[in-house]
Amino acid sequence: MSTGTEGLVSGNPGPRSWRVKIERRLEQPRWLMWISPIILILAALAVGAVLLSIVGVDPRLAYSRIFSAAFGTPAGWLRGEIYPLSDTTVKATPLILTGVGVALAFRMRMWNIGAEGQLFIGAWATTGVALHLLSPETSPWIMIPAMMLAGFLGGALYGAIPGVLKAWLNVNEIITTLMLNYVAIFFNNYFIYGPWALRGFGLSPRFPRNAWLPRLMDLSDRFPIFRGLTAHLGILFGVAAVVVVWYILKYTKWGYEIRVIGDNPEAARYAGMNLKRNIVLVMMVSGGLAGLAGMSELSGVVHLLQERFSPGYGFTAIIIAWLAKLNPWGVILVSYLFGGLLVGGDQIQPFGIVQMLNGIILFVVIGGELLLQYRVRILRPERIVERAAEASGS
Amino acid sequence: MQSKKLWLVLGLLTIIALLIAACGGAAETPAAGGEEGGAAPAETEEAPAGGEATPAEETGGVSIPEPEEGMFNVAFVYVGPIGDAGWTYAHNEGREYLEANVEGVHTVYLESIPEGADADRVMRGLARKGFDAIIATSFGFQFGMPEIAAEYPDVAFLHVSGFLKNDTNFGNLFGAMEQAKYVAGMIAGARAKEDGSNRVGFIAPWPIAEVIRLGNALTMGVRETCPECEVDIRWIFTWFDPDKEIQAAQSLLDAGATVVVTGADTPGPVQAAGERGLWGIAYDSDTSCSAAPESCLTVPYWNWGVAYAQFAEEVKAGTWQPSDWYMGAEEGIVGVLGITKGEFPDAVPDWVIPLAQEKWDKMTSGEITRFDLFTGPIYDNKGNLVVPEGVTLTQEDLEGLDQATIDSFGLDREACTICMNWLVEGFVPDAQIPAMPEG
Amino acid sequence: MESSAKVDVPAVDMRGIVKRFPGVLANDHVDLTVYEGEVHALLGENGAGKSTLMNILSGLYQPDEGEIRVRGERVSFGSPKDAIRQGIGMIHQHFMLVPSFSVAENIMLGMDEPRFLLDPQKIEGTVRELSERYNLDVDPSSKIWQLSVGEQQRVEVLKMLYRGATILIMDEPTAVLTPQEVEDLFQTLRGMAKSGHTIIFISHKLDEVLAIADRITVLRRGRLEAAGVEASSVTKKELAHLMVGREVLFRIEKKPAKAGEVVMEVEDLQAEDDKGLPALKGVSLQVRSGEILGLAGVAGNGQRELAQAICGLRPVMGGVVRVHGKEVTNAAPVVLIKEGVAYIPEDRHGVGSVPNLSVAENLALRNYRWPPIGNGWRINRVALRKQAVELVQTFDIVTPSIDTPSRLLSGGNLQKMILARELSGDPRVVIAVHPTRGLDVGATEAVHRLLLQERDQGAGVLLISEDLDEILSLADRIAVIYEGQIMSVVDAEDADIEELGLQMAGTRVGAGAEKGEA
Repeated sequence: MSTGTEGLVSGNPGPRSWRVKIERRLEQPRWLMWISPIILILAALAVGAVLLSIVGVDPRLAYSRIFSAAFGTPAGWLRGEIYPLSDTTVKATPLILTGVGVALAFRMRMWNIGAEGQLFIGAWATTGVALHLLSPETSPWIMIPAMMLAGFLGGALYGAIPGVLKAWLNVNEIITTLMLNYVAIFFNNYFIYGPWALRGFGLSPRFPRNAWLPRLMDLSDRFPIFRGLTAHLGILFGVAAVVVVWYILKYTKWGYEIRVIGDNPEAARYAGMNLKRNIVLVMMVSGGLAGLAGMSELSGVVHLLQERFSPGYGFTAIIIAWLAKLNPWGVILVSYLFGGLLVGGDQIQPFGIVQMLNGIILFVVIGGELLLQYRVRILRPERIVERAAEASGS
Repeated sequence: MQSKKLWLVLGLLTIIALLIAACGGAAETPAAGGEEGGAAPAETEEAPAGGEATPAEETGGVSIPEPEEGMFNVAFVYVGPIGDAGWTYAHNEGREYLEANVEGVHTVYLESIPEGADADRVMRGLARKGFDAIIATSFGFQFGMPEIAAEYPDVAFLHVSGFLKNDTNFGNLFGAMEQAKYVAGMIAGARAKEDGSNRVGFIAPWPIAEVIRLGNALTMGVRETCPECEVDIRWIFTWFDPDKEIQAAQSLLDAGATVVVTGADTPGPVQAAGERGLWGIAYDSDTSCSAAPESCLTVPYWNWGVAYAQFAEEVKAGTWQPSDWYMGAEEGIVGVLGITKGEFPDAVPDWVIPLAQEKWDKMTSGEITRFDLFTGPIYDNKGNLVVPEGVTLTQEDLEGLDQATIDSFGLDREACTICMNWLVEGFVPDAQIPAMPEG
Repeated sequence: MESSAKVDVPAVDMRGIVKRFPGVLANDHVDLTVYEGEVHALLGENGAGKSTLMNILSGLYQPDEGEIRVRGERVSFGSPKDAIRQGIGMIHQHFMLVPSFSVAENIMLGMDEPRFLLDPQKIEGTVRELSERYNLDVDPSSKIWQLSVGEQQRVEVLKMLYRGATILIMDEPTAVLTPQEVEDLFQTLRGMAKSGHTIIFISHKLDEVLAIADRITVLRRGRLEAAGVEASSVTKKELAHLMVGREVLFRIEKKPAKAGEVVMEVEDLQAEDDKGLPALKGVSLQVRSGEILGLAGVAGNGQRELAQAICGLRPVMGGVVRVHGKEVTNAAPVVLIKEGVAYIPEDRHGVGSVPNLSVAENLALRNYRWPPIGNGWRINRVALRKQAVELVQTFDIVTPSIDTPSRLLSGGNLQKMILARELSGDPRVVIAVHPTRGLDVGATEAVHRLLLQERDQGAGVLLISEDLDEILSLADRIAVIYEGQIMSVVDAEDADIEELGLQMAGTRVGAGAEKGEA
């Protein structure tokens, strides 16, 4: 019988009183694992609703606006109004790419919190190719793949730095990846204010048309329904990345090694796996995906390099990966939720309200995740009858 | 083992949550440079130094931006929060002016919208919702606008502080703040002369044409009332950073200036001068002085409302024609506190008031335009003749619009020949325009 | 701590205890009566419900049914603190100590008193006094990480005594100890019992139980098999029967060895331990095909390092390792796997298995690289599952399914899983380190059978164990290791238990050269 249970005790410890006992779940039931994010998000929305009413907004109205701005309404879809989905897709695209990259690294317990920096370096490399390496007349069939390669390689090499430091010098990757974020952002600043600056605006010049990823709106001549829709090819990169990472983890030797190393590095060593090589490789792929996110965001949306093209996608990716339980498919789902939240958030002004709402959701979801690992039992005095109540908080 | 891992992960998530929060605040601060709006005040949650400038009722409570049936609907997109007591605050005053002064207009705003993809998305959303006009007030907002304007030909788009436009429904707008700065310079010079310090300090946000132009105008004004005065300068590389602005002010005061003129967005420098019993000149909004009225000599401020009202009227009437719309003192888009509104404090020497008033009157009557201010001979602070006798700078010269920019954006304009990248005589001789920040 | 014992009233009386876990009935109406001043053994196989019952008594769990009386008084515990108030303290298998704190600090940890101000001097004094009184030799000011496992256990005991525990529950205390430490512990326990403490001793090791206990209670599959039998009135065989539910053969039937050529040898092998101190000081051994070479020794004399050095998991500082005549010194672990060296590590959870991966994936750890499971850069999941189904059946691994995470397996089944993985590829060399440590009688038997089977199929087996009985019954030749050196190698038939024991303690026999203390 495994008995690793340590109870946290609260309430009056006297033997004759009622008491509440909180104990760690021995095993998280499967259904709970899948349903918990949903419960938590609902709980967060409930808390948010209370707050919204306090500041004087009708939460139902606010939520319905946020939701319809993020995902549209069935009636709207029938009318051909699919732009909310397109907007949310645009937001979800970089989140999926960075999220799945982070999830891959986390699977091996490489705590890569440097996706933001890797994204910036990927974007930087992309810009170099689009503006300086290739002529504006280069065919998109060459231009786009070259930019993808540059973005991926940029992120991958940047991810390799903490990987190498970890593998050979055992430098904590949390610290290095975190710090390298800032290095990347300032490196990027140097270029947009310096060598690549356009008149000191903190912007690079615009990419030539051939360096733009195709968008739905480009098809609006043939399909008028796509008019003004900005969803771009990058979402397919995201889905492809998810499929590839999922396939790697499940069906390849390398994925098997990642999972073994992530769960028990000692066992991996014992089984003859090359830890150093795997650490560097996984950091490269993880960073490469973040770099590809940078490429997709620049080539698909921003069309130039600027200081603040990412509102912290690489950091949000960490939470996304975690909420998705490091499952690649889950990353798509959670990214769309977060994307929707970002898109719908503009529906309420002033802006602080939405930031507060986002904060609450993050707080409840992350805090609740912990609570779900415990259950609450209420013990009656004397007869010690126990009742298991789910600690779901809702 | 298990719980150790759990804590590690939780710790990480906490760090990340903090990081996101921190970035949300700090990251916008430096702002993508550019002309004024470029980054204006940055979206920060902290209330700006002059908290008083944000009366609760002016924030209008919580709102959901929707057009109103039967009204002429105008949406404003701001880069910063309306409570910034600076750039965005001034625009929001303009919005309120518009709503109050033009019949049948309903306005909404979206604040703290990051430049780039988010701004594009927001503007598209507003166009879809059926707004009749959209006004975007940050430099970086303009880049997506040609495309969006083409998609929504029925919506009128106005961008403030940029240079892009089209022929049908997208124009840009800016104003001759250099005129107000010149008059403010006259007042600063008079005060420095009275103090015997003969030294005025200027806080320069970014080494870009707009800031240099305003600094030059200010300095020429200083020299008009105080020929022996010199203007000291500090570059702070931000539009909005209360700490840096105050540090720059203190540094200028330490170096002997008795009047500090800020080109950035918070009234902090004025307060810093006031604390030493000295003087400051604020910027942006007619309320910018209210944090320290006694030590604030004046404020050259924006009065966007007049432009917005004219824009709305024209669009409603169907007469609006997009252009590179550049308004001046004549049209009333800029003002000088004490002259156009309110009173000068006692600290402004009496003898300079009529001089300033007279100069301003000539500006509003059209007798002195911004081009007249920049007519040769003009020497730089190293003694070189920059603008020869009889030569007048062009609009492109004033904007420092170079060939590279024109090519990059396909603008239908001439390149500048005497580009705005020099400091006028009157700045301390060792003052220089720095390179863009090292990173 | 007065032992004013009323002889009739038991110190602990548990009646009709029932405890359910999801899907398991861990205790099914179990009774336990323990008298003051006795050492009472709670005997049972792994998973019999011993630990659950004691976790209930120590307040960690609440029973679903049943009642507990302590010295005649009805009690109900909501937490371990409630239990300690009644003088009941439990020492778990895994110590709950903070490595960077001193002994005294650890002892104070979690106490209500003193609330704010600590007086380390005073506490150290009290601890010292306690440790002297009960012969629990440990320096109160040293840090936990500096202590050996045996010393850490003493700290746990002191912690409980300091809190006024008079009824001490020890959960398999010998599992982590060397034979010498076991003997020390037993002496301490006897002394404590004599001074009036009551000790409940959880174990599945028959010899130990018979050696230390006054009375014995046996559990099997959550049920009571024997309640409070006098230790003097039962035999080992009877106990084993009670515990396992069937006859147990302690003798292992084995055919004579047919030793062939040398399949693995080490020559003058030198390696360091984790702290960088020399652990192997020139070890030379040869293992031939078709034989089991038993390596006897007290734990910590270089056995672990030897196994790791052979398998490429620890840098070899000097000397040579050969497998089938081919030098593999400092080769990557994968080379050793290719050469057919199977390694059964001592740490099943920490090294031998991947806890959150399924049994099927754990079973592929050794051969995932090659067909049929490895297919180019991919994994053939059909083949992986097929192998798992076969191995689970062949090696009789009890698991709900092949998709069950391996951490949910019992110790015995986990070991069977590891053996299945390591032995299924027809290894030429098997290195087994403490392969039966912590296993119950049934599982131990299975492991022994499997090792013999490998031998009979022609593999050379290096069996590293501190259980001399195990070595004597399995090995064909026996080597003794002491402080990183081989003391002797003898044929099992010529082995003398006394001599081996002396060598394990560092005495060179025969050669007359004495080394270390006897």
